[in-house]
Amino acid sequence: MARRLAAAYNWLDERAAVRSLLRKGLYEAVPVRGAWFYTLGSATLVLILLQLITGIFLTLLYVPSVTEAWASLEYLKQHDAFGSIVRGIHLWSAYVLLFVIGLHMVRTFFSGSYKRPRELNWVTGVGLFVLVLGMAITGAFLPWDQAAYWTAVVVTNIAVYTPLVGPFLRALWRGGDLMGPVTLSRTFGIHVWLIPAILFPLIGAHLALLRKHGEFGSYVNYRGAYRTREGVDVPPAPAQRPIEPPYPAAPSDELWAAPLQTEDFYPYQTFKDGLVSVALVILIFILAVTIGAPLEAIADPSTTNYTPVPEWFFLPLDQLLLLVPQQLIPLILVLPLGGVVLMLALPFIDRDPERNPFERPAVMVPGAFAVLFIVILTLLGSGRLFNQ
Amino acid sequence: MARPEARRLSRRQFAILGTQVAGAVIGVLLGIPIVGFILSPLFRREQVSWQKVGDISGVPNGQPTKFVVAFPQGDWSNAKANTAVYVVKNNDNYKIFSNVCTHMECPVHWDDALHQFLCPCHGGLYDINGQNAGGPPPKPLPQYVHRIDGTTLYVENRFTETI
Repeated sequence: MARRLAAAYNWLDERAAVRSLLRKGLYEAVPVRGAWFYTLGSATLVLILLQLITGIFLTLLYVPSVTEAWASLEYLKQHDAFGSIVRGIHLWSAYVLLFVIGLHMVRTFFSGSYKRPRELNWVTGVGLFVLVLGMAITGAFLPWDQAAYWTAVVVTNIAVYTPLVGPFLRALWRGGDLMGPVTLSRTFGIHVWLIPAILFPLIGAHLALLRKHGEFGSYVNYRGAYRTREGVDVPPAPAQRPIEPPYPAAPSDELWAAPLQTEDFYPYQTFKDGLVSVALVILIFILAVTIGAPLEAIADPSTTNYTPVPEWFFLPLDQLLLLVPQQLIPLILVLPLGGVVLMLALPFIDRDPERNPFERPAVMVPGAFAVLFIVILTLLGSGRLFNQ
Repeated sequence: MARPEARRLSRRQFAILGTQVAGAVIGVLLGIPIVGFILSPLFRREQVSWQKVGDISGVPNGQPTKFVVAFPQGDWSNAKANTAVYVVKNNDNYKIFSNVCTHMECPVHWDDALHQFLCPCHGGLYDINGQNAGGPPPKPLPQYVHRIDGTTLYVENRFTETI
């Protein structure tokens, strides 16, 4: 039997080159120290796949229509316990995903992993972050309950403050000046096809770049072992470097070309990745079963006693909407868009090869302030809503 | 060796050009209908329709009163979209306000204690004449085009000014 399997494997390898593919995928040398931090990327991938799988199955029931969308989910809630869990997993894994992808990004920022030759890893990552936010926002429209409807009203209306083309952009999303059947159809199409059609190839590019340049890790993987008694870092002789692929794949500052100590991605890093991912999935499953995905009353545009409450990930922007005075409303577009542009430009602005976060104050201080700004806006927003 | 005439395409150049033209033609043939399709709702004329709001003889003076009007959802849908309107009577003069906040289009309501229209989202305030009285809204509360037959109020599904 074993020989038959080996023969089948050889047959497949001769035709599809699976051996070299697996070797490239599984036996990459990854830096050893700090490896628990490097599980955030794989956790992000697992959570996105969770979204894909549960999302596909939700389309087996959900109807994207202003008269049927809410009713189909209400039916799910009342008559389909397993379907409700699927929807619960879809919602809670989206929440956890937003949190984990944010941590992944902060980790990459602090460790300086975006520097040459990994600039495009970072740029594709920023793209993925923006697309995941787009998925979260469009997904929030789809239940067409009160929460979804008023989120849709406010979010699509933000576009109207774009100079010159504002009303055009809002009408493009809504399918007219007013909310209507086309708004939901378009948002559904964007959520299930348009964004994923860009998102998944971009994940492929992100992973291909990761395999090309290797996991950078952080500065601890490059210096500590070579620190002399006087505290001076001595770059190791080239002969002491691991030479297995993918280090060094592209020109890089010599000190940062290859980590000092590596181990195989499989099974050592995958073990840590697996533990983190399974912990997150168990957490999501518990939340999906116990709390589930809420569904408020059906959307009622004529309400005068409903207080729209934004999704938690929308709180910083919502707080900004409250704080920005009427003369400066376009700021609510300038700040997030400017933030994305700055993030895309980061590896091209910060080209100093130094990776130690404590020796990069010019980048770390503004970065820390940006994170602090978002956290403070979130706290202000949640405090305000909690008091209502 | 004589170089080929400058104007003559080599076989290779011809193949490159042909590939690019084929790609461009496919792109244009797909692009025109798709762009037209996603832009088409923007050029559809909004169906202007008059809707009966109801009998306004009972509306007290100086007390904004809510009515619900069912406008057609539009497009292919037969469903109606319920919309709130506030009728403000000032002796013989009526103003018909939408409850759509001009900041982010949240649903404002008349707050008796404040004696103002209040938006629950970001705290926008409007006085009884719909004028801005505080918070971030950049424009006054929109008013519906309306007519009154006897004591029956009708509104058109458009505002006197765009928001």
